[in-house]
Amino acid sequence: MIARVTSPTAPVAATGYPWPIETTQLPNGLRVVVSEDRTAPVVCVNLWYDVGSRHEPPGQTGFAHLFEHLMFEGSQHVKKTEHMKLVQGNGGSLNATTNPDRTNYFETMPSEHLELALWLEADRMGGLVPALTQETLDNQREVVKNERRQRYENVPYGDAWLRLLPLLYPEGHPYHHATIGSMEDLNAAALETFQAFHRQYYAPNNAVLTVVGDTTPAEVFQLAEKYFGAIATVPDIPPAPDGTLPGPRGEAVRETVTAKVPAARIYLSHRTYPFGTAGYDAVTVLATILGNGRGSRLYQRLADGSRIAQPDYIGSYGVDLAHAPAPLIITATAKDGVPVEALEAGLAEVVQSLIDEPVTDEELNRAKALLTTAWWRGVSTVGGRADLLGRYATQFGDPATAADRLPKWLAVTADDVTEAAKHVLRPESRVTLTYVPGEPS
Amino acid sequence: MSLVTTRPGTGAARPYAFPAIRRVSAHGGTVVAAHLPGQLLANAVLLLDAGAARETDGREGTATVLAKSLEEGTRKRDSAAYALALEGLGAELVPSVDWDNFRVGVSAPVPLLIDAVRLAAEATRTPKLDPADVARVRDDEVTALRMDWAQPGPRADAALRADLFGADGRYNRPLHGDPTSVAAVTVADVLAFHEAWLRRPGVLLVAGDLDALDLGALAEAAFEGTAGEPLEPAGPLGVTLPPARRTILVDRPDSVQSTLRLGHRAPERATPDYVPMTLAATVLGGAFTSRLNHLIREVKGYTYGIRGSYAMTRRSGRFEVAAGVQTAVTAPAIRDTLGEIARTQAEGVTEAELEVARSWRAGQLSVEMQTPGAIAGALSTLVVHGLPDDYYETLRRDYLEATVEDVSRAAAEHLAVEKLTVVVEGDGAVIRDELAEFGELTEAAL
Repeated sequence: MIARVTSPTAPVAATGYPWPIETTQLPNGLRVVVSEDRTAPVVCVNLWYDVGSRHEPPGQTGFAHLFEHLMFEGSQHVKKTEHMKLVQGNGGSLNATTNPDRTNYFETMPSEHLELALWLEADRMGGLVPALTQETLDNQREVVKNERRQRYENVPYGDAWLRLLPLLYPEGHPYHHATIGSMEDLNAAALETFQAFHRQYYAPNNAVLTVVGDTTPAEVFQLAEKYFGAIATVPDIPPAPDGTLPGPRGEAVRETVTAKVPAARIYLSHRTYPFGTAGYDAVTVLATILGNGRGSRLYQRLADGSRIAQPDYIGSYGVDLAHAPAPLIITATAKDGVPVEALEAGLAEVVQSLIDEPVTDEELNRAKALLTTAWWRGVSTVGGRADLLGRYATQFGDPATAADRLPKWLAVTADDVTEAAKHVLRPESRVTLTYVPGEPS
Repeated sequence: MSLVTTRPGTGAARPYAFPAIRRVSAHGGTVVAAHLPGQLLANAVLLLDAGAARETDGREGTATVLAKSLEEGTRKRDSAAYALALEGLGAELVPSVDWDNFRVGVSAPVPLLIDAVRLAAEATRTPKLDPADVARVRDDEVTALRMDWAQPGPRADAALRADLFGADGRYNRPLHGDPTSVAAVTVADVLAFHEAWLRRPGVLLVAGDLDALDLGALAEAAFEGTAGEPLEPAGPLGVTLPPARRTILVDRPDSVQSTLRLGHRAPERATPDYVPMTLAATVLGGAFTSRLNHLIREVKGYTYGIRGSYAMTRRSGRFEVAAGVQTAVTAPAIRDTLGEIARTQAEGVTEAELEVARSWRAGQLSVEMQTPGAIAGALSTLVVHGLPDDYYETLRRDYLEATVEDVSRAAAEHLAVEKLTVVVEGDGAVIRDELAEFGELTEAAL
């Protein structure tokens, strides 16, 4: 018997979110989103605060992220170290992340501990400032400086993102600086600044509480009122600086870094469209066609075809930022003996092909199939779903619109991809960051 | 109105249950499948008794080169056609090698899993393995390893492994080999490894909605055309410890952090002490509030994170602490780390600490096992270590019932602070002189 493989066809999906969603809003402005799923005895509690590094004024880079660390160090009724102990000590997993757009906090717990998680989150939303001490700040400042060393300074190419942002976004733009911040600013961070930061931004009317999993909307709404209801609204929260930009850069820019790296590497980057727009949906499909998987143009032409790029280190992806045209990043690393100029010429040619050579049905269907699997993988956990709903509630005002993203990707046409390529991939708007091996000057 | 001041109690817990397991056999192979009703994605892993331990001395990395060669085309289609066929299903092939097994995994929407498994089997059983392609993949792998070894960590790991398993053949070199051993791998080595080990039926792990999956068809896809008997597992390597603690410096000039790897040998996975050892390591260095993370990160601010754990395979085990610490505090960080290991070994754990560890480990069995991929991983533990279908229910109970005495005894028995190998990868010019206090100092030439 010969195994038969059906020919791939474009996947279809009417919705990317086939679970119920219910929402309410407390009188203090806290939006509450609940998505019930009784499959497993687990529940995720997720909070999106609409504050990220884009809100940081000059001289305070890295503060939103350092603040995120302080949120784990105790609050009015939770002693120092108790937060982690109570979550893990009741079987849960927890974390938090900060990016340019927002800060999120989340814990997935066995569902009998839902109320505990809500109490912990409410206590640090409404009662952090009284517990915040200089000692805690000094300690977490050192932890964050070690995070900076570990993730950005001590690894080859580790500072690429820190270098790309100021090339992509002009001075004064909310995305100009990286979320991790500078050592100088972190060293200068004062306790009062963080107290003020919490009072300003960690407000119920600046947050979305999402609960997904083994519970009911009625239970969550009642508990939300019980634990968060007393927290006061903060009037007139100042918005981040306006990130409006006319899409792509007006002129090309390049930076070349000589560093202790094992091989030459190139990052090409373009500003595209904000996450959530039709243009960015096209860019998402474009990035998959260009650089995701062994069937992508970059892999087929540079890793496989001309064999000038290392197969493990080639690809392209968008960074899903919503408040200004988001970056598309394209990267390749030279194989032994390949001049970096040859690699750059090869990359440029493949990028240009998206403008000059129509996308085939096969390429389009491959990209959509991969995006479909990635989407379903992302929502296969209660944690993935909670973060998704929190994002859409925060950034687009309605968690139910999360269901539209996958169908919108699947509706992107070959022409849409070509149009997006013509708009965003012009060499005149390109940022080129090149690393070459050598002793740093 | 004000915040609620008292911590809420615990609600009613639902009973824990691992998904129902079904089995189907064909052509000498077995499908082991877990039922996940309603899941839109499904995961399948072809599990073959062909781990890195089967490689020849001096050719470490052969299995990894083979794993990366599987997608260079099959007897039926070239590499580009293969990539399009598989990725057109939304699937990607994930071949991997560990000490015990060679795995080829795919995940796909449920209705497409059968096609993805057919393609995975095609690549695994009948890859083209054109000599020119294999040689190129080997060369690319040498380059990829050099890239990896430019990061902090892999060289320290290699130095620790070489010291702990120096007399144990294959186990003394990294799982995926090193740049030298991979460069020595020949096309014939790769072909021979495939011929000897990848044509046997093995086991297909499946996690997904079994109401919509045809296990018989999956078995046919995975095992048709295979041959060979199951292999007898080799015995454990045992626990040998050195006479005294020693220190190895791996020089990384200008490094702003020192990468620490402290370790010694420990029992293999089948040890009856698996649960108390895991809990002891959780108290010492597993949970966020562990002794090590609390002291080195939360009190001292020396690191972004520090972890201590036992890693166990079918034949080997080791205890290890891993961290990156700021260069200037390398010696104080090691001193404090040794202090906490010594304290845990000598004094055991407290009830308050153990309560966190037990509940965390037990809760993680539901919290961290939500996806088809995670469930397939859990199935592989059952198969590789010969554990019964109700193992996870038993494990959960064992965690929750472990006593301070059990766990303290395991800590005393399976921690050996005076027998540790302390590997430090960092800026030798700055830290070399202060390392001698931790045991006889040598430098690794890697």
